Amino acid sequence: MRLEGKAKMLRIHFGEDDKWKDKPLYRAIIEKCRELDIAGATVFRGIEGYGASTLIHRSHLLSFSSDAPIMVSVIDSEDKVRTLIPYLDEMVDEGLIAMSEVEVIKYVHQDGARS
Amino acid sequence: MLKAGPAKKVSIYVGEDHQHHGHSDYSAILDFLFYRGVSGANVMRGVAGFGADHHMHTTRIEVLTGNLPMKIEFIESPEKIEELLPKLHEMVGTGMIEVQDTNVVKPSEISKKRAPQTFTPPLRREGKAKLMRIFIGENDKWHDKPLHKALVESMRANDIAGVTVYQGILGYGANRRIHKEGTLHLSHDRPVMLSVVDTEEKLRSFFPILDGMVQQGLVVLSDVDVIKYTHNYREEERRKEVRQ
Repeated sequence: MRLEGKAKMLRIHFGEDDKWKDKPLYRAIIEKCRELDIAGATVFRGIEGYGASTLIHRSHLLSFSSDAPIMVSVIDSEDKVRTLIPYLDEMVDEGLIAMSEVEVIKYVHQDGARS
Repeated sequence: MLKAGPAKKVSIYVGEDHQHHGHSDYSAILDFLFYRGVSGANVMRGVAGFGADHHMHTTRIEVLTGNLPMKIEFIESPEKIEELLPKLHEMVGTGMIEVQDTNVVKPSEISKKRAPQTFTPPLRREGKAKLMRIFIGENDKWHDKPLHKALVESMRANDIAGVTVYQGILGYGANRRIHKEGTLHLSHDRPVMLSVVDTEEKLRSFFPILDGMVQQGLVVLSDVDVIKYTHNYREEERRKEVRQ
């Protein structure tokens, strides 16, 4: 797979407790990205935040319920990223999706063991 | 790479307790020399000594001082030393730098070749800059050191304005392998992202070094507007006091 020059970065923000078909939403998104053969996607967990619902998301050390903010960042060519958007529309009930332009400097992978 | 012939030897004297941006000074200097492509450097700890402040620093237990004299020594070409001295000046603080002529009879054999760094103006407080994001795995290594750590050290040594390492919880990339947080097993290979902000020239001059270090991953660049880039000197002073 190759990726170079101008590309798009999609950032999807929502909560850790958000679900899609009984599965964590972030996992469902990553699986969808792989299915669509998107170049790469990474999930990050935030410490604190708030969003459209103005509900503060915060991970609680002492309780089992943690609804930390989650950000999924997806990078690929504009065409590829756009194929993902209809699915995201359906999956992300509450949250924010933002797209920005990026320039790919390097996209490499080595076969076999990770060095 | 150092060749046989005339060269210069630099000796830097600092105290073991001297700090540079929250790190011990000698190791900060060593890192700086390392990532600036100096062919070799040594740090030696003295057993006793005194400096400009005429405090005796010894290993005697009754004195209970950890501040032993440290000497960092390296040999390089005069041009290279010219290039490094301004930053070293800033790093040694109250320490001393000495340069003497020397002659390399036999250079050491294996050494890393690196692109020479060109000076570019530091990040302005406001205006256009670039944000570089580097996506790698937590287990990626560079010279037996975690790659993300090596990258941060190398950026610091190359005067990049700032970098933050983020740990992801799930992801995949060029190698199609899912990186994830393993709660039940000890092997962790979480995705890691470094976000670096500086001027375009500064970041581009860092690409050759980056190229040599990142064997697999993704590097992207995007435009950002710098709104604020400040440093709280008072805070640092306070931290220094706490340490003493």
